[in-house]
Amino acid sequence: MHFVVCIKQVPDTAEVKIDPETNTLVRAGVESIANPYDITALEEAVRLKEKYGGRVTAVSMGPPQAESVLRQAFSLGADDIVLLSDRAFAGADTLATSYTLSRAIITLGKANPVDLVLCGKQAVDGDTAQTGPGIATRLGLTQFTYVVDVEWIDPEKKRVQVRRKVEGGFEIINGPLPALLSVELELARPRRASLPMLVSSLRTPVKVWDAKAIDASTQLVGIKGSPTWVKAIASPQVHRAGPRWEAEHGVAGAVSQALDALFADEDFEAKFRKGWE
Amino acid sequence: MAKNSRGIEVAEIVSDKCIACQICIGECPVGAIELSPDGVALIDPEVCVGCGKCFESCPVNAVKFEKKKRKKIPKEERVEPGKEAPGHQGVGVFIEMVDGRGAPVSWELVGKAKELAGQLDTKVMGLLLGGSVGVAADEAIAYGCDEVHLMENPFLSRYLSASYGKALADLCVKLRPAILLIGATPLGRDLAGVVATRLETGLTADCTGLFIEKETGLLLMTRPTFGGNIMATIFCQRQRPQMSSVHPKVFKMPDKDPARKGVVTRHELEAPAVELPEIIQFIPSGDTAGADIVRYPALVVAGRGACDQASMPLLEELAQLVGGVVACSRPVVQAGLMPYERQVGQTGKTVAPNLYIGIGVSGAVQHLVAIQGAEKIVAINSDPNAPIFRVADAGIVGNYQEIVPELIAQLRKIKSNANGER
Repeated sequence: MHFVVCIKQVPDTAEVKIDPETNTLVRAGVESIANPYDITALEEAVRLKEKYGGRVTAVSMGPPQAESVLRQAFSLGADDIVLLSDRAFAGADTLATSYTLSRAIITLGKANPVDLVLCGKQAVDGDTAQTGPGIATRLGLTQFTYVVDVEWIDPEKKRVQVRRKVEGGFEIINGPLPALLSVELELARPRRASLPMLVSSLRTPVKVWDAKAIDASTQLVGIKGSPTWVKAIASPQVHRAGPRWEAEHGVAGAVSQALDALFADEDFEAKFRKGWE
Repeated sequence: MAKNSRGIEVAEIVSDKCIACQICIGECPVGAIELSPDGVALIDPEVCVGCGKCFESCPVNAVKFEKKKRKKIPKEERVEPGKEAPGHQGVGVFIEMVDGRGAPVSWELVGKAKELAGQLDTKVMGLLLGGSVGVAADEAIAYGCDEVHLMENPFLSRYLSASYGKALADLCVKLRPAILLIGATPLGRDLAGVVATRLETGLTADCTGLFIEKETGLLLMTRPTFGGNIMATIFCQRQRPQMSSVHPKVFKMPDKDPARKGVVTRHELEAPAVELPEIIQFIPSGDTAGADIVRYPALVVAGRGACDQASMPLLEELAQLVGGVVACSRPVVQAGLMPYERQVGQTGKTVAPNLYIGIGVSGAVQHLVAIQGAEKIVAINSDPNAPIFRVADAGIVGNYQEIVPELIAQLRKIKSNANGER
């Protein structure tokens, strides 16, 4: 079995903000991390490899410094690590990204046919959840999103069965390989890298592939292959600025004043009394 | 302006404005720009030839460049020529079926589509797929569709990415809508990525605002990014349809007008030629209320400050009294106290209840953005500086364990007092 895991390097999003005074990005202390959903996908791939045999290849598209997430992937059990890095890849939206990754997966498959592609449900910086379905569609892979459990793989019959989250519950579904899984965080708790693996990950060479190496059209990658553009950025606008009362001056009084303010709108009070009929 | 050693006026990046989109890196003809380890573009002044391409392509004006002679190329000409897309018209809305009915988010989008179509002087097309679509086509017209295009086939009775993806993409190729809106439900987000890739067009996920740009007629799509801390406005210059997915409850439910007239057209399904997966079983979630938090008229939302199993009965009691359920913010899910289905926020659910009561919710931006559709917001927090107070209609600063019982007592009194006297 050949498992390919797509990993994105993302800024630790909780830290990125806009300074409301100057309308500029505040970056102080923002670190780059591997997208947590992708690390979950890697963990599952490594577990499947341990169960069914085979190899795990981790792929990331990004600037040269994205190699750190691949070294992390190696320390967590990936056998091969490939960085897709080329100036031409810069500025890619999800359409161009899924094209570039799918070219890389085709290239990987020439040496060793790919059975299962795993990626995180979404990246925590963009939250789009589009790249997985994009890759599956381009490569004609069976697509399973929101996967919470891989129940079994039948390498002989070339089938996989998963449990996936759907509206109102879960779905157990099976389909032919090769397939693509986009995974939820609860699928697998990532292991910690052992010290020897950490050391060896630092010594491992990272393969770097450019557009030519994956036979990608320069018109379809990066900014040229991206239909969507950013026009502007802004701080989210939040409305209202209501009054507040301190409970330390008396709980009953604070609550009663707050409710007076809330029910100053008589229509609202009437709706509340009627149980929102 | 800075000059390099060859006397060329070079461009500079204003690092705190740079959003690391890397557009300039792709545009630079001489490879002078790189992304620094801090995630900011950096220009090597010795390599820069002073062409100004980075200045013109930067979406956030983070490039300083003042070569006077160069005239700024208008945005329209700046984009690499893509496929020209003439003859695309109308606003399409994918109508999702849930239990034999149209999903509420689909009608919310039809309402928005009507507004956009009005500005573009065009029509709204409902695109309806299913095994049995029942009254959904009539409903679509009542909510604002001018045309409904449907594929009704037992083959579509259950959602599969491959069959729905092909069916919807085929409909778009045939009907050529300029805009396509899809509800960002789990199903819709799965489907949107497939359709956009099949049509090779741009897709902007989880939009919170949709506008038509007057001068160009382009769809401007606003969406949260960087975990909801920043809003980005995105557009899709050439490819069609301009695709956008939108969470439930972001837009208002339109009024239904059963007298509205529209045209329903049936289309034949052409099944995909690939082997499809087989759904073995559907297991309903044990937490039925959790799956439905968006439908409740009132929510009592537990945050980091009320992340305590022992307090849950108290919150449940309050929720029951106000006719709602208990939901939570991200830290409570991360602590394993409540399932993800109950999470309110940009990465959870966008909600618009009549009454939102936040208990120990500090109010991270990604949470505030997702509750702004609420009619009234009450905040209880021990920290007087919690951002949640900035969006609340009424706030109480203090220990929720003292405040909530008092709140329950007073609300009960109000509710039981038939004369409306307090």
